[in-house]
Amino acid sequence: MLIEAEGLSKIYYGKVAVESVDLAVQKGQVYGFLGPNGAGKSTCIKMLTGLVFPTAGKATVLGRPLGDAKAREKMGYLPELFRFQEWMTGTDLLDFHSSLYRLKKDPARNKRVLERVGLLGQEKFKVGTYSKGMQQRLGIACALLPDPELLLLDEPTSALDPVGRKLVRDIILSLQREGTTVFLNSHLLSEVEAVCNGITIISKGVVVKSGSMSDILQEKVSLSIKCSNISESVYSILKNRFDASIKPQGSDGELFLKLNSKDEVPDIAELLAASSVRIFELTPRHETLESVFLKVVDKEADA
Amino acid sequence: MKAIALATLKEAVRKKTFAVMTLVSALYLALWALLLNFFKGSIPADDMSMGFASVILAQMGLQFSSMILCLLTIMLSSGSIASELETGMVHSIISRPLRRFEYVLGKFLGLLSLTLAYAAAVYAILMLIGSLFFLNSITSISATQFFKGLALYVLVPAVILCPTIYGSVSLRAVPNGLLMIFLYILGNIGGMVEMIGRLIGSDPVESSGIFLSLVSPFHTIFSSAERTLLPSSGIVGEMMSGANGLSGSGKPASAWMFLYIAVYAVGFLTLAIRKFSRKDIN
Repeated sequence: MLIEAEGLSKIYYGKVAVESVDLAVQKGQVYGFLGPNGAGKSTCIKMLTGLVFPTAGKATVLGRPLGDAKAREKMGYLPELFRFQEWMTGTDLLDFHSSLYRLKKDPARNKRVLERVGLLGQEKFKVGTYSKGMQQRLGIACALLPDPELLLLDEPTSALDPVGRKLVRDIILSLQREGTTVFLNSHLLSEVEAVCNGITIISKGVVVKSGSMSDILQEKVSLSIKCSNISESVYSILKNRFDASIKPQGSDGELFLKLNSKDEVPDIAELLAASSVRIFELTPRHETLESVFLKVVDKEADA
Repeated sequence: MKAIALATLKEAVRKKTFAVMTLVSALYLALWALLLNFFKGSIPADDMSMGFASVILAQMGLQFSSMILCLLTIMLSSGSIASELETGMVHSIISRPLRRFEYVLGKFLGLLSLTLAYAAAVYAILMLIGSLFFLNSITSISATQFFKGLALYVLVPAVILCPTIYGSVSLRAVPNGLLMIFLYILGNIGGMVEMIGRLIGSDPVESSGIFLSLVSPFHTIFSSAERTLLPSSGIVGEMMSGANGLSGSGKPASAWMFLYIAVYAVGFLTLAIRKFSRKDIN
């Protein structure tokens, strides 16, 4: 495990920010950490990076206890509120962060990370002249300097346009191919869904859902059937077993079934074929991360 | 730590505050040179008046330049950590494999090197101007006096840096700056109160002055520099005490006082490291 947390809690002046969070992030995972505003996501990331001290619980990052400077040698971090020395040039900033990582100045390494974030050629300009999006990408470049085993990104695309977001998504996917573990905190659920293979959702400081992306999204599958010539008896079987929607009228009618798993699809197809139903289209639909997120967060809010 | 110290030094030199205070220092030194030039031909020839005026002029040069140096130190360092905490710049620094004490010490060393270099340069220019205009209180200084005076002169802003760094960890930049200016002024008041107590023979008043000098020992260090360079400054100070509160020199600082000052400086720096090491950086 690259990140292992057990009962991690943080209380600020009597107010609970994070309560008993458990985390298990495996090597090579791209792990999404989600939650509404004020849920405690950034507090958790700050505890993992040693910026904030937990009130209770224990955790290890890269096999070392929280706050251990040695663990941070192979850890990259882009904070949510990134702010850099505006008087430095891009190269100065990379050299500064290299020395913080106890690395020697290396123009080739600088070139490599700049190329990766699409800023090659901009490094001679002062950071103060960069746009917010460029500064965010430069922050990612700084975090990539030590060839990190673990990269923690707190809202890494908040200042980026769609092209920049795509670039960051591609960087994350290429890092995953190289075996880097990425811990991603983002509000952009479609982005998380596209790149993450494990997620934890927290709300009001408490973990409300956690697991692999495929498990979470496949918990509920719906099936859309475009068909005609469906008999009352077949419809009633489907309604009873799969909570079928209203019976379609005509050839372009559509029926929705709620399945417990994708494995039920062939059985349904067989049943329909045996009952002489004319099938035009049979499409299994997974839940989106957004619908799962909204469901669990709303449930927590109602509670 | 070295990276932090270098970045702090470079950043401080680039600040507008540094440019403005350098201009103020240059203007003051030019004004002082002009005064020396003016007084050169006007000082009465008798030895006593000559000596008296010469010491006052040298005191003036040292005192106001030291004041400018202390203000510069406070203005550059009061926000050195506070502003990085406020803006969030510290997040991407502390999350690197850097121990927190290295960050605080790096900030301190960067500012200390700038302060020492700046103070030494101002001191050297003061001595040069004094020599060029044949100010005999300056031209009569021995090599030992010169270097001892230099060490004490640069020690004043170096010591004031320590509580300012502690304040920068604990407070926002502006309140910290105001508090440190007040602390600096308190030291000057302490010197004056101590002297008044001695003049009127009141132990409680003198003790109050000593207490203020313990809270703010900067003026005590400056007085020692002044006494080292201008041994007759104490007598002149007492003669001037009725009319001029600026000098306000108490007794020369003892070795115990310097030991206290060392504990004071190291103590504040240790407190700053301790506080920052336990701080949640949000």
